[in-house]
Amino acid sequence: MGAWRHFPIFMITLPLLGAVLMPFLGYLRERWVPYAALLPLAASTLLGFLLVGRIPAGDHLSYHLGGWEPPFGIEIRVDHVGLFLMLVVCAITLLALVYSRRYIEKEVSPGRRTAYYVLYLLMSGAMLGFTATGDIFNLFVFMEILALSSYALVAITGNRNAVRAAFKYVLMGAPSSIMVLLAVGFLYSVTGTLNMADLASRIAESGYTEVLVVSYILFVIGFGVKAALFPLHMWLPDAHSIAPSPISALLSGLLVEVCAFALVRITFSVFTRSATDLVGGTADAVGVAAAAAVLYGGIMAITQKDLKVMIAYSTVSHIGYIFLGITAFTAEGLTGAMYHMLDHGLAKACLFLCAGNFIYLKGYRRIEELRGAWRQMPWTCFAFALASISVIGIPPTAGFISKWYLILGNIRAGKWLYTIVLLSGSILAAVYCLRIIYYMFFQAGKEEAWEDASRDVPPGMLVPVWALSLGTLFFGVFSYLLIPSLLKASAYLL
Amino acid sequence: MPDKSTFSVIPLIVILLPWISLLAILAFPKKAERLRLWLCALGSLASFGLLFSLLPGILDGKTYTIKLASVVESLEMRLTVDTLGFYFALILAFLWMLATIYSISYIDHKHNRFFAFMAMCESFILGCAFSANMFTYFIFYEMMTFGSYPLIIHEETTIARRAGYKYLVYAVAAGTVLFFAIVAHYFWGNGELGFGSYGVLSLEFASRAALTTIFFTYLAGFGVKAAIMPLHGWVPDAHPAAPSPASALLSGVILKAGAFGIIRVCFNVFGTDLLRELGVYVVMAVLACITIVVASVFALTQDNLKRRLAYSSIGQVSYIILGLAMLAHDGALGGVMHLTHHALMKGCLFLCAGVILVKTGKKNISEMAGVGYQLPITMICFSVCALAMMGTPPSVGFITKWLLGSGALQASLPVYIIILLVSALLNAAYFLPIIYIAFFRWEGDEVEGHGETHRPKLVFGKEADHKLVVPIVILALLVVVVGIWSNVTGFPYSLVSRVVNVIFP
Amino acid sequence: MRLLHNYHYAAAMALFCIGLYTVIVRRNIIKKLIGLNIMETSVFFFYISLGYLDGGVAPIHAGSADPARMVNPIPQALILTGIVVALSVTALALSMVILLYRQYGTLDVDRLMREEEPAAEGAAGEGEGGA
Repeated sequence: MGAWRHFPIFMITLPLLGAVLMPFLGYLRERWVPYAALLPLAASTLLGFLLVGRIPAGDHLSYHLGGWEPPFGIEIRVDHVGLFLMLVVCAITLLALVYSRRYIEKEVSPGRRTAYYVLYLLMSGAMLGFTATGDIFNLFVFMEILALSSYALVAITGNRNAVRAAFKYVLMGAPSSIMVLLAVGFLYSVTGTLNMADLASRIAESGYTEVLVVSYILFVIGFGVKAALFPLHMWLPDAHSIAPSPISALLSGLLVEVCAFALVRITFSVFTRSATDLVGGTADAVGVAAAAAVLYGGIMAITQKDLKVMIAYSTVSHIGYIFLGITAFTAEGLTGAMYHMLDHGLAKACLFLCAGNFIYLKGYRRIEELRGAWRQMPWTCFAFALASISVIGIPPTAGFISKWYLILGNIRAGKWLYTIVLLSGSILAAVYCLRIIYYMFFQAGKEEAWEDASRDVPPGMLVPVWALSLGTLFFGVFSYLLIPSLLKASAYLL
Repeated sequence: MPDKSTFSVIPLIVILLPWISLLAILAFPKKAERLRLWLCALGSLASFGLLFSLLPGILDGKTYTIKLASVVESLEMRLTVDTLGFYFALILAFLWMLATIYSISYIDHKHNRFFAFMAMCESFILGCAFSANMFTYFIFYEMMTFGSYPLIIHEETTIARRAGYKYLVYAVAAGTVLFFAIVAHYFWGNGELGFGSYGVLSLEFASRAALTTIFFTYLAGFGVKAAIMPLHGWVPDAHPAAPSPASALLSGVILKAGAFGIIRVCFNVFGTDLLRELGVYVVMAVLACITIVVASVFALTQDNLKRRLAYSSIGQVSYIILGLAMLAHDGALGGVMHLTHHALMKGCLFLCAGVILVKTGKKNISEMAGVGYQLPITMICFSVCALAMMGTPPSVGFITKWLLGSGALQASLPVYIIILLVSALLNAAYFLPIIYIAFFRWEGDEVEGHGETHRPKLVFGKEADHKLVVPIVILALLVVVVGIWSNVTGFPYSLVSRVVNVIFP
Repeated sequence: MRLLHNYHYAAAMALFCIGLYTVIVRRNIIKKLIGLNIMETSVFFFYISLGYLDGGVAPIHAGSADPARMVNPIPQALILTGIVVALSVTALALSMVILLYRQYGTLDVDRLMREEEPAAEGAAGEGEGGA
């Protein structure tokens, strides 16, 4: 038993521990906090990379918390897909944290900066735990930590719009959490266990019951709100656009994906094949909602005037992509959904950070104000363009690969309507993204709009942006690093 | 001939060489403007030179291949230089080289952006030519589509912007349709996206309806670039709006990328037998015929020279489609050879239009009285190409027409010959007036009873910068030379006949 | 009969619905939070009743307690965690309510959400109304 078997739990607890220690450091040496906060996340990322290749294919790494054997103790369960998503989470949180140091000087008042880092670490740790846990109640707990820290982070600036958006988020998020809790209760009442693997086998034994159906529907609604699936997305555009940009990047790039992933796990690892008929009916409804999300999000994004709101609506649309991939119930569709979590995470985080760059340098939020931005902020604009290309799904970016598999999956499932919806979604994405690229690069802005800007944002903010946008390119070209194993893992899940 | 396929990095180097221009732009300061521009041209030149060095191997039946990346085993990005790809790459690199040299003198603002995107587009479209499968083709094709947008709107006038917008609308829609076509192809082709000598799809794995769907989505996707008639809307706007070297390339190469895609689909994806079996070639032929005639009629009504040329391009590219749709040896030969022929002729014509625009500022044909005296070399070259377009021997245009006519007879559908004749007639109707106005009318001519006319003095050799004139002369010479010695090694016939003889033994 | 036997579940569900109704329908945000707490309580109630045993004893292995008569301790343990979570959410939400009241001067959710924001702040609020 090598030391690496302990890595997953360290990946989760280090940021949480960091969050606990940060207030003390903030009390003693406030200036060190932004740097110290990097340490636990960097360590987690490192541990995550060290784990790569150690988990045998088709198998998983199971860690028993406190040495209690499941189903009695809490199990941390990391398989290939889980590790993949954990790495995405680590990388993006780390980059957005690097970005935060300079950015929050603009938006967050000095008294709240330590709190910002505390909440940030809490949220990162919770996301990692949420992805890795094999215990369904633990899943709920991590979800709540995640939700609480994100509510607070949306409101961190304390201005009226931010608090209002955060409150809206709470009003939708808290009931959804309770629904998940209730769903867990239902599952427990039928099976008497909370361990996911154990649940799966017991559900397979007991077969179809009404309680399971209700439980599953509650899960879908609960996670649907958190993942902002179409009719339940109302909180998203406000919260994602008003939060400080690094937080928007996390919310849009990770939180919704992680919640969608939780639903994938619930669907495929807990309810499994034996309950397909039970999952099937709900999945049809989810499919319809997702298709509506793709179109609604795209159309709303086109009509927006505020850059961050536009990006937020684009997220609504892309969540629809992910769910359409899941509801195809084919290995390709699921692979597409997983890969879309990666590339949407990278691209959307990059877009939000770029939007943050404009706010940081000029305070510009409106799309019209970006005319001719290229002259002053070439690096930001090029990164933005690259990430937008991935959002549209133009080769050779990662967005293209995921779109390929999403559509292939839907064709294999014979879902023609959804195939057309996905294609139109990418046309809509082209409309709203190319419009901005056009403003940035091919329109001359008012001279005075840009004259007092320094050349571009400081490197501390450019490096994360470029790392993310080059990431979309990298995973587009080197998709063979992940796609084959994702395909295998998806086939295994099904 | 997969048995003689050898690994080689040359294809990759060929498509990377144009990026020299980008390095040059980054590496040299603004002061060394001339050096920078010449380095841009050098990238293109080197790319063409290296490509040309592959000729003996290609004629020997070799193919060169290199794998760039892959998603899964059956889905890979691979460059393969086969005869057809080499043929397309050769003409496009050649035309691109001339256009780049021409641009050095022609482009007068925002050099960096123009040359950077010229180089990128060349690289991408060479990638298209070398693609070993549809997946790779699509990737390069999409990048080329978006890379050529800055070329179209380079002037940044309102007209250019509107044209660019239209271009993007068409491109995005076409890209989406094409994307669907390729995914469907991948699905029903059992994961086989490669190009086979006789096609890879078959009715064994997929239903008729599925294959027909794939074919028509392909046709629609590529048809936008190839300007098949209901989908041609962006062409007449984009060509006049773009700077002349860019319009020469648009018409000479980028339109051909769509046509080349259709060639690949017909020859290497479906194969002629399957096309005949499905009966879809009829639709293709009808669309091509309509396009040929209607575009020529539209061309008649245009006064803007480049717009007229653009409509002419729409009609001419459909010759290629028509040639394919004949499903006969000579038809296919003529169609595929027309790829080069049209690129030479139309490239030259657009470059001439550019010289006229730069030297006299005249855009409209009605204003061009006496231009032939001001710009004699340019207008002579223009006339040569215009005559070639009508199909006058000895020129490349004549060869195309001859082969297509012969193909029509082979396919026992003489109706195509009528279409070709009508087209030639219409071509004459819209090209001859230009020549007439340029040489035999001069300003003040219209005023009755005005004894003195301003007949300009004929001056040779001083009309424009050499960088503008030399490419034009080279192209015009080639129009004739290739037309006479068509089967010289390396000229279209020698390459295309190898491909076509395999398909139609 | 089954319903009568499972009256505690029915009660939990009724409470849950009352809570959800309050959250959705009430316009006063304090009342919405109260509704939220009712929902939470209903779920806690549901959990506790899962582990409940008529005449059961505390699950402590000491003395002569009969394991068969012990109540199931797991739901209780879970609910302890649940209460902590609920408490934090309520505390956070209430602090937001205070901030909102200070800045908007109202607790009415419709007025809160429809309130025009200063033009410079961007057009974030679409006026979609409260949940």
